[in-house]
Amino acid sequence: MNFKNRLFILIYIFGMHSVTAQNAITLLTQEKQFVAGSTNLLEFKTSNRTSYQLYCTNSYGSTLLNSEFNNGTVVFKIPAYIGNKTGVVGWKIIGSTESISGKFTITPKQKPASLESYIGPPSIEAGGTDFTMLVVIPTDELDNPLKQHTKVGMKHQFMSSEKETPIFTNNLIAYQTIFSPLKSGRMILSSESLGLNSKEYDVNIMPAIGTNFKIFSKRNHAYADGNQITTFSTSIIKDKNNNIVSDGTFVAFFITNKKGNILKTSGTTINGIANAKMIHPDHEEVWKIKAYIAGISESNCLEISYKKVIESFDIHFSDTNRTLKVGPLKSFMNQMIPDGLRVSLSIYKEGEFVNNIFKTTNDGFVTFDLDSNIYENGNYNLEVTAAGITQKFKAKKLW
Amino acid sequence: MVNTNKIILRSVLIGTYFMIISILIFLISSLFSYFNTGADRSAMLHTEVKTIDQYVPKVSWKDDGNEGRHVDPQTLSSIESDYLDAWYVKHIANKTNLKNGIDDFYTKSARKNLFNFIEHNKEENMSIESTTLAHNPDILFFSEDGQLVVLEDKNVIEYKKVIKDNKPVIETTETSDYKGVFLLEDGFWRIRHLVKEHTSEFDKTILPSLMNSSNIKGINYYPQATPWDMFGANFDLKIIKKDFKIIKKAGLNTIRIFVPYEDFGKAKVKESKLEKLEQVLDAADKRRLKVVVTLFDFYGNYDVLDWTLNHRHAEIIVSKFKDHKAILAWDVKNEPNLDFESRGKELVISWLEHLIILIKSIDKNHAVTIGWSNIKSAEILKNSLDFVSFHYYEDVHDFEKKYDNLKKVIPNKPIVLGEFGISSYSGAWKPFGSSEKIQAAYYKEMQKVLTKKNLSFISWTLYDFDTIPKEVVGMLPWRVNPQKEFGFINTNGVKKPAFDYISN
Repeated sequence: MNFKNRLFILIYIFGMHSVTAQNAITLLTQEKQFVAGSTNLLEFKTSNRTSYQLYCTNSYGSTLLNSEFNNGTVVFKIPAYIGNKTGVVGWKIIGSTESISGKFTITPKQKPASLESYIGPPSIEAGGTDFTMLVVIPTDELDNPLKQHTKVGMKHQFMSSEKETPIFTNNLIAYQTIFSPLKSGRMILSSESLGLNSKEYDVNIMPAIGTNFKIFSKRNHAYADGNQITTFSTSIIKDKNNNIVSDGTFVAFFITNKKGNILKTSGTTINGIANAKMIHPDHEEVWKIKAYIAGISESNCLEISYKKVIESFDIHFSDTNRTLKVGPLKSFMNQMIPDGLRVSLSIYKEGEFVNNIFKTTNDGFVTFDLDSNIYENGNYNLEVTAAGITQKFKAKKLW
Repeated sequence: MVNTNKIILRSVLIGTYFMIISILIFLISSLFSYFNTGADRSAMLHTEVKTIDQYVPKVSWKDDGNEGRHVDPQTLSSIESDYLDAWYVKHIANKTNLKNGIDDFYTKSARKNLFNFIEHNKEENMSIESTTLAHNPDILFFSEDGQLVVLEDKNVIEYKKVIKDNKPVIETTETSDYKGVFLLEDGFWRIRHLVKEHTSEFDKTILPSLMNSSNIKGINYYPQATPWDMFGANFDLKIIKKDFKIIKKAGLNTIRIFVPYEDFGKAKVKESKLEKLEQVLDAADKRRLKVVVTLFDFYGNYDVLDWTLNHRHAEIIVSKFKDHKAILAWDVKNEPNLDFESRGKELVISWLEHLIILIKSIDKNHAVTIGWSNIKSAEILKNSLDFVSFHYYEDVHDFEKKYDNLKKVIPNKPIVLGEFGISSYSGAWKPFGSSEKIQAAYYKEMQKVLTKKNLSFISWTLYDFDTIPKEVVGMLPWRVNPQKEFGFINTNGVKKPAFDYISN
């Protein structure tokens, strides 16, 4: 190959190169990072004046932008709604023969405008095992989360202690778990980042579950008159850290009598004390009482006894034995027993049970009438029971 | 006379009475049912179960725990469904430039960012057809009170097609990483912040399959009684087995069958259909026949928002049979180039391309091809396919020349003639049509060329058919009737003269 030929090829190659360069559009903008909210432009060098479009995509969407000419350069103004949001923005030139694309990053302004805080659960149990969590999203004025590893001061006050712990944003948020103190009360939290302070948030530290407790009883007298009321109460119920349990804690009292039957009464606590009441038995009785906070704690066992008030009573038959007048029923000072004592009459005929009639005393007496239409003439066994005492009449003749 | 008149009057009166009463009852009952329908109280709680799959991209959770509270499966599934719905409403908004549904899945401050795009795009008369094909979400943080989640989604495959003034401007597939903060508001996991942390062009590199797919001597197969409905109610394995015996005996080694998209259950492929397909493949394997399975038969939507459903359909079928010995190749779609005009060439090609990538990602062994309807389209996507296949129903004498031209354009890929044949019909609708003799001569001529060029072939078809569904060639009798007689064996089971030239 001679020199002429070589020169020709060289010129040819040069010519070809400049032809492709003429069509080309090249990026002038050097920056790959912009701060959110700053006006950013993408400038391209081109030799012809054809207009281009720019495909642009960010965290939330995609769009096309139109070009403008400015002193021989093609300029794309990145609109605010793209330029204001952090993240990677990808772009591509449309209308050029070769594919020209790139990307740039928009970083947040490193100045928080709000500290979006989420705290929960809003109430936790004292004692150091339960915890709450504070999540803070520091955002700039354009609602972008601040950079990774931004310092957030987490402040909290409880009783006499005030603390500030530095935490750092990671994955858009900063968070801290806060374990409960031993005492119940209210904890106040707030946060701070780069000079901006948040509102105040509070968390209720509730007392933990109650521990075992004692119970007491209080009554007017010890007689089983079926009329007075015995009041049971608990000692001040506290959790293991000496916090009085929350008001309204439900305490159930179980009373076991001589026969093994169970009576139940209940109360809820106020300032740690629960009260419950029960009417006196109407016969001699011994009660064993134990109280429970279901599934949580229990009391000691309390034993109280009730004295007999009625030793015996009279029964007067009249009107062909069809009217029974029971009484007078007298109490411990020989006073008439208060109205409402239960008296029962059981009727048997020829060994077979016929009926049970219950009545309550009125002015110390109870009257039973045995209707001749129901109870035919004949011999009946009758049993009258009052205050735990039973009197039996065998083969009482009704006519 | 008077009596008759009375009777007529009476019956008219009674009839009118009944009519009025029935109208009244109808009106009152409609009023009653109107007040008893409508908004259900339970709807307030969002407890209703939506059963229609609209959008099912591939979601692979990274299950590596998180900072903060443990995420229980129910929370995870509600986060997933709300997160995907957030994408779905965004795709709809991109397409329609309407704001419907966005309020439910983006918080008040986050939705502004979407609205800005919608407003700009609306002003510019633009719309974006978009979808995502894969998500790899990972919960990074779950707050103790269960109200806030930080989620990372890596390698989201996003397809977008930007349309301006009704003209497609750009089409792009991107792989992006997102990080988002979600808040539980009104029972919805709403996006509070979303940050795209990384983005790049999606890598469309496709690796060639490992298996050899040359030397195909095949036939397109439908049972005689159930053409275009092979896996329907009249599925009969006995007949299919018998046909496979005939095919094998004729010296062929391959069949091409079709899997109808809707019949198989779209995105939720029916187990019963898969069983039938498996039986067919087992039967083919027993006769040592290889099978080219054509997917997406009777499908023609290609809509971008339909893609995820298509992908799940292909995924289920391909992953079930990727290790089946009978499989030779996956034919993505039969004659998709016929939909270029109605659906847009670029859209159909992108649809095919992404399906090839999906099928290849599941089944690395078997070949993937597309059954182009003519030789002209055979070059499309040639680099993505393991072998090029095209159909030829033109003049037999031009075949050699046209094939040589194609071979020049595609020198390095195997080429398969996926369908060819001629009808033996002549009758009232085509009086100077073909005949069985002409058909035989056609195949003789074709086989000569095929042997000379050592070209793999799959002919159309084994049987003459009694009926052709209208979806195949329409209703016009001069098109339907010739279509019935493309077979090597007529409707009575008698071999036509062309049967001698079924193979070479």
